[in-house]
Amino acid sequence: MSRRGALITLTTTLVLVYGLLVLTQLTGTTPRLGLDLQGGFSVVLEAPPGTDAEVLDQAVGIMRRRIEALGEVQEPEISVVGDSTVEVQLPGVTDRDRALAAVGTTGRLEFRPVLDVSPIPGLSPIFVNVDLTDGDGTTTTTTQVFDSTTTTTAASGGTTTTAGTTSTAAATTTTAAPTTTTAAPTTTTSGGTTATTVAGETTTTTAAPVDPKEGVVLPEGVTWCDEVEQPGCVDPKTGLTPDPDPDLEAFLATDFATGGGIVYHTGPARVLGSDLEGAQAQFQGSASGSVTGQWLVVLDFTAEGGDKFTEVTKELASFAVGDPRRQFAIVLDGVVQSAPAVAADVSPATGISGGSAVITLGGSTDQQGEASDLAVVLRYGSLPVAFEQSSVQSVSATLGSDSLRAGLIAGLGGLLLVAVAMILYYRALGLLNVIGLTVFGSLMLVIFSLLGAWQGVTLTLAGVAGIIVAVGITTDSYVVYYERIKEEVHRGRSLRSAIDHAFSRAIRTILTADTVSFASAVLLFFLAIGSVKGFALALLIATICDVLVAVFFTRPAVALLGYTRLGDGGRFSIRGATGLPTEAVE
Amino acid sequence: MSLWRDLYHGDTHFDFFGSRRRWFAFSGVIIAVSLFALIFLRLDLGVDFRGGTLIEFANPNGVSVSDVRSVVASGVGSARVQEVGGTGIRVQTARLEPAAEDRLVADLAELLGEDPGDATRQSVGPTFGGQVTESAARALIVFLIVIALYMSWRLEWKMAGSALVALGHDLVFTAGIYALVGFEVTPATVIAVLTILGYSLYDTVVVFDKILENVHERGERHTYGAIVNMSMNQVLMRSINTSLTSLLPIGSLLFVGSFLLGATTLREFALALFIGVGTGTYSSIFLAAPLLGIWKEREDHWIKVRRRLERRGVAEDFAPHALAVATAADTVGAVVAASGAAPRPPRKRKKRR
Repeated sequence: MSRRGALITLTTTLVLVYGLLVLTQLTGTTPRLGLDLQGGFSVVLEAPPGTDAEVLDQAVGIMRRRIEALGEVQEPEISVVGDSTVEVQLPGVTDRDRALAAVGTTGRLEFRPVLDVSPIPGLSPIFVNVDLTDGDGTTTTTTQVFDSTTTTTAASGGTTTTAGTTSTAAATTTTAAPTTTTAAPTTTTSGGTTATTVAGETTTTTAAPVDPKEGVVLPEGVTWCDEVEQPGCVDPKTGLTPDPDPDLEAFLATDFATGGGIVYHTGPARVLGSDLEGAQAQFQGSASGSVTGQWLVVLDFTAEGGDKFTEVTKELASFAVGDPRRQFAIVLDGVVQSAPAVAADVSPATGISGGSAVITLGGSTDQQGEASDLAVVLRYGSLPVAFEQSSVQSVSATLGSDSLRAGLIAGLGGLLLVAVAMILYYRALGLLNVIGLTVFGSLMLVIFSLLGAWQGVTLTLAGVAGIIVAVGITTDSYVVYYERIKEEVHRGRSLRSAIDHAFSRAIRTILTADTVSFASAVLLFFLAIGSVKGFALALLIATICDVLVAVFFTRPAVALLGYTRLGDGGRFSIRGATGLPTEAVE
Repeated sequence: MSLWRDLYHGDTHFDFFGSRRRWFAFSGVIIAVSLFALIFLRLDLGVDFRGGTLIEFANPNGVSVSDVRSVVASGVGSARVQEVGGTGIRVQTARLEPAAEDRLVADLAELLGEDPGDATRQSVGPTFGGQVTESAARALIVFLIVIALYMSWRLEWKMAGSALVALGHDLVFTAGIYALVGFEVTPATVIAVLTILGYSLYDTVVVFDKILENVHERGERHTYGAIVNMSMNQVLMRSINTSLTSLLPIGSLLFVGSFLLGATTLREFALALFIGVGTGTYSSIFLAAPLLGIWKEREDHWIKVRRRLERRGVAEDFAPHALAVATAADTVGAVVAASGAAPRPPRKRKKRR
């Protein structure tokens, strides 16, 4: 290697590696730690054999949503491994029970009678028809609008429940979905807030901050979340119930995460998921021939559930057709899945009896998907399959940070020992090896930081172990090269020629050996599960870094050293390390 | 010249190939003992493999193991209580119901004066452990096939075969030590064993690469056995250095893992590695290379080479090695070396055939 070429390569490498290191650390990009290094919670769930891949994906999606609802998790990691295994990693989670409930249980299903529906999508009925008594003693009915965007929801509420299992063909579909038509512009005022609603478009001018709780009458037993936080409390900002209590009234939306969708004021749960025996989506051809067929969901109740359902439908049927109170909300984990109304021909005297019922959705293909989704929700709660928890693990945050510390101490200690041994043995070359190890370390740190930020790759304790092992592998590459230089010098080559010649021979050995490591790491990564994967990844990256460092650092650095006094003079030099302090006769 | 100086200069003349019978016998005894231990003593598998519940707590107040044991025994039936990492307590039981597990955690927390939330807990179903093992075994088989193919292509198929034999030796030996001493097998151990695979092969590849290079350079002027010997003396220093530089960080892991809490995994990992790296270095020098030598010597080509050299009276298993080779003209140098102009003349060995 020419002096100039070596200098350029070496400078570029050093600037690039250390530049990247400074850049990533300055921007606060550090490796994402696995849960064994920062504490957290992990579960391995096992689906019954033969579970469809699609169903698993669906389950993973639901779990992800539920975990996000937990709030405290920074980066949940949920992945399907193999045919029927789902691995959930929740770094930083401390509330074990809630986390377990989020991924493990099939969800809480409730049938709640609807008491009121918001006239405007996204607006909680709690803020509608608020009685405000101002100083004059006059009472004005106002509507407070806190969400200025109006969501137009597809009319998915157009569902009807009909009695019995027979003769549903003639069922009339009553649209009980809340309508949001405001014909004339109405202006409502409330304590400084002026909201003008024009045909569904709402503009809000806020003059002064207002207490949304003002004038709101809460149902009995229900509290504001910012005052007394308990199950069933109402969030004053959204007007929704984040954690509904089955025995209390609740304000629930069809789309809880955004607080959008249709918001229902519901009564206490009357029928629970456990009261349901099964649910199935079915297509029913039209008997009369005038209408096309309909998609239905057939519900089967347990004996006890059937009685409860009859009782509820009796009450609901007493309201006139078209009254929002004639419907019930099917609620899963606090989200309204569907709100079918009781069909017109159900009499208040009998209700829907017989232990089964049919929810009629409609004839389009959209409604086919809707029917099967609803059936899944009804059957399994939310997870479409009953998982078995095959491994549950929680690592305390203290232990996590202890492990990290231990790993760092072990790593640094190991590096120090290697450095001392190498300098003693190879002298100036050993010093290069130490610098090379810092280049290697920086490169690993940069790569893990970037992978963490971009791909969500975490660094686990097994990964740290892999890196420490990689220190051995990297050092071996130096040893192979240095021994080769010694050998070439002993054969009588001049130092510079030996350095060049040795590299071209050594890199062959290094590449062959690294390919073996690389292959083992790749295979481990794709075939193994759990912590072995983290280890394999670290080894994989380390092997690549090893080759890069050998070509772009070690080679130019040794070549340059060969041109200096440290190359060819004194006991500390390269020649000194070969044990032949004098120039061979050439 | 002292041994150290010889080593340092790569100027050793150990007859690895000639003493192969001794080393094969030694390896045979090791394997026999390991297999005996594996069959009769069995591996002590951790909860990850057989299923169960594991609870780990810090124990800053130094509550004695027997106190912990009595608390655990009152809660659940049989349990195993160990001290880990100097200042930690580990309790292992059969798999508990979540409620029973919570109760045990609460009891232990009270005894140790810790917060129940600071427990490290693990609960593994019996089938899951089987899956972990199965996935590791599958990974292992695919790995071996791929590596054998790669080595056959890059080196020679007989080299691949010898390397795999050496690998098998390392695995059986490591597992045997675990069975013999009764160390617990954890996922960390499995990782370590997989590392040993890579390491053992890596080491063997370096030796074989050198043999291939020497065969290429000096071809038929020596018997295969002599080339094996020569190559191993040349890479001896590298093997020692590499083992040393690998064992230093691993030793550091082992040390830190034994004295600091939280590094239990590190210690378990380092222990298997320590054994594996040692046996990996041993097997590539004393097992893989001589085995390859025997195997190659049976090839027609190398039998002819040996006969020819025997007729000329220079067929030593112990050839002088590279150092005397002159500057650029390797060909001339080799002849000179073979005729006894090496820095140190080779000892005569009894001919074997």
